[in-house]
Amino acid sequence: MNDILTLDLITTIIRISTPLAFAALGGLLTFKAGILNIAMDGFMLMAAFVGVGTAYFTGNLYISVVAAVLSSMILSALFGYFNLKFKANIFIAGTAIGILASGLTAVLLKGVFGQMGVFTAGKVLRFPQYNIPIIKDIPVLRELFSGYTILVYMAYILTPVVSFVLYRTKWGLRVRAVGESPDAAASLGINVFSIKMQTVILSGFFCGLAGAYLSLDYVSLFSRDMTGDRGLIALAAIFFAKGDPVRTVAVTLLFGTAQGLSVRMQLTAGVAPQIMQIIPYFVTMLALIIVGVQAKRKHFNIEATTAR
Amino acid sequence: MANSANSVAVGTKRVSRSAAVKKITIEIGRPIITIFIALLIGGVIILLMGEDPIFAYGMLFKGAFKGLGNIIATLQNTTPLLYTGLAVSLAFRSNVVNIGVEGQMLFGALAAGIVGYYVHLPWFLHLPLAIIAAGLAGALWAYIPAIMKAKLNVNEMVVCLMLNPIAQLITSYISSYPLKAPGPTNKTYDIMLTARLPQFSKSSQFNAGFFIALALLLIFWYVNNHTKKGYEWELIGQNPSFARYGGINVEKSIVEVFLVSGMIGGLAGAEQALGVYGAFYNGFSPGYGFDGIAVAMLAKFNPLAVSLSALLLGALNSGSIVMQMMTSVTRDLVKVLQAIIVLLLAADFTLEMFRKKRKADETLKKRPKTESEKL
Repeated sequence: MNDILTLDLITTIIRISTPLAFAALGGLLTFKAGILNIAMDGFMLMAAFVGVGTAYFTGNLYISVVAAVLSSMILSALFGYFNLKFKANIFIAGTAIGILASGLTAVLLKGVFGQMGVFTAGKVLRFPQYNIPIIKDIPVLRELFSGYTILVYMAYILTPVVSFVLYRTKWGLRVRAVGESPDAAASLGINVFSIKMQTVILSGFFCGLAGAYLSLDYVSLFSRDMTGDRGLIALAAIFFAKGDPVRTVAVTLLFGTAQGLSVRMQLTAGVAPQIMQIIPYFVTMLALIIVGVQAKRKHFNIEATTAR
Repeated sequence: MANSANSVAVGTKRVSRSAAVKKITIEIGRPIITIFIALLIGGVIILLMGEDPIFAYGMLFKGAFKGLGNIIATLQNTTPLLYTGLAVSLAFRSNVVNIGVEGQMLFGALAAGIVGYYVHLPWFLHLPLAIIAAGLAGALWAYIPAIMKAKLNVNEMVVCLMLNPIAQLITSYISSYPLKAPGPTNKTYDIMLTARLPQFSKSSQFNAGFFIALALLLIFWYVNNHTKKGYEWELIGQNPSFARYGGINVEKSIVEVFLVSGMIGGLAGAEQALGVYGAFYNGFSPGYGFDGIAVAMLAKFNPLAVSLSALLLGALNSGSIVMQMMTSVTRDLVKVLQAIIVLLLAADFTLEMFRKKRKADETLKKRPKTESEKL
């Protein structure tokens, strides 16, 4: 086991979990507004593609990130509009957006870049790694917290920011009000459609960062369907942590650990990768069952007391 | 219960002929317009890529329908969509949003693969047993979201969403480790010839599963329209509280619908394992379970119409191979078309755009009595 749990594993986990954390932050904003965002894989995939494509044409990483985020936000606006304005079932619309992103990026991959499977943005561009002062001189902490790229830091700095916005601002209060009781919120004069739409587009923003990170930082290429259900894992984390930002990101780190270990344990211990990969979905199923049983019990208790 | 069923049926018959014609035009018109819009947007994408849309679509059409070989290939591509389209239709008609057909199909295929290799029987017992095993496996996997919705009131869509990757990973594990056949690919052992669905052509894997699917469509068209069960299933979708008031056990019906839908999903897997591949291959499905959503929505959840919408998507899938060979447009364009079709059909445009206009119209002229008022 010693060769599995090393310091560089923790670095790997933090890097592997970054896109999950980004997506989860976006997804929990919509979650708090009462929307289950299952289109996040589609948003991320689109952003990953546009990111690499822009890097190829401009050679500038930061412009590429902006373009990636914008593309993801446009797709999220489309999703939000179909669900909120045209009342399309969220799961059906979300599945359709996922298929749309998968198909469109594959068509454009061939049409614009002449590639069938994988595309790299010409010469490989890299984000600089930042070392945090003081911490970079302390042995263990240096390995754990220093030397990441700006996007990694952003994901974990944005976590308390999202938490603050949700629980300490007027806008956050409105989002939660809309999520808990849309009718009551509407009767208080809150524009439910507009608040929900804002959270969906913000989820597009965060998934855009996740996608850009995947194709420009984590690896420097775009490959077909490269998000690999990360949006779904992020959604599982949101469910598991009941949408609390800090806890949700902590859970993405756990799920990231399972992912990180799945490759290593196969190499070192011969454990099938599927066993580790199944963990996020499996524990989320357990959580759903537990929450369901608790709710049912509570319901019975209420019935019992009212009957008396 | 039977009484209320009769009175509603009489009510529908009383709708005047012109209204019926109008209704049918809208029912058929919307899918056709939707397909047209999707092809139009697809055409713009083809144009942007510097290709001729008419040529590309022409190649697609030729690839799907020109010559017997292509037609049979199209039918082979249509077959899994008949099953998954029917599975989704039955569920959605009852407002049971079973988006877990993909997982149910994977377990069906695995069960068929296991029974097809490890059991030794004469073909007239072996083949039916393998098919039944697949149906049971699909139904069992569907029982999880069913029971969670019925007993714990957990959203079935979330459960299905988590169960799909779980099914994918479990079947992938089983076919890669414990039951893996020797060789480079992750698959189970080849299914015995006694459990294979007969194939009809040398050039494709078109097999008897196609006709089983057609029979299922007919059976469920009959069940939906001519049996009490079918009426109950429709009612819990349209108006659960009315159904409950009418004496239907809604929770039980939801479980029933889920089981039947899952069973058909499992049979989709049987057709693939016993008819097409002859074993369970890890990752054999390009997402037939999700394609079923598009098929079902185009067909408006009508089992007979599923045959047409499955044929349409099957032809697109099959013909797109030729389009990909002859142009720089890849097969993935079909995914884009499919996504646009689903988005447009899932949307309720009339609600927002015409609500005001309709309200104005209604106040102006005296409208005829609606069905519910006649009761």
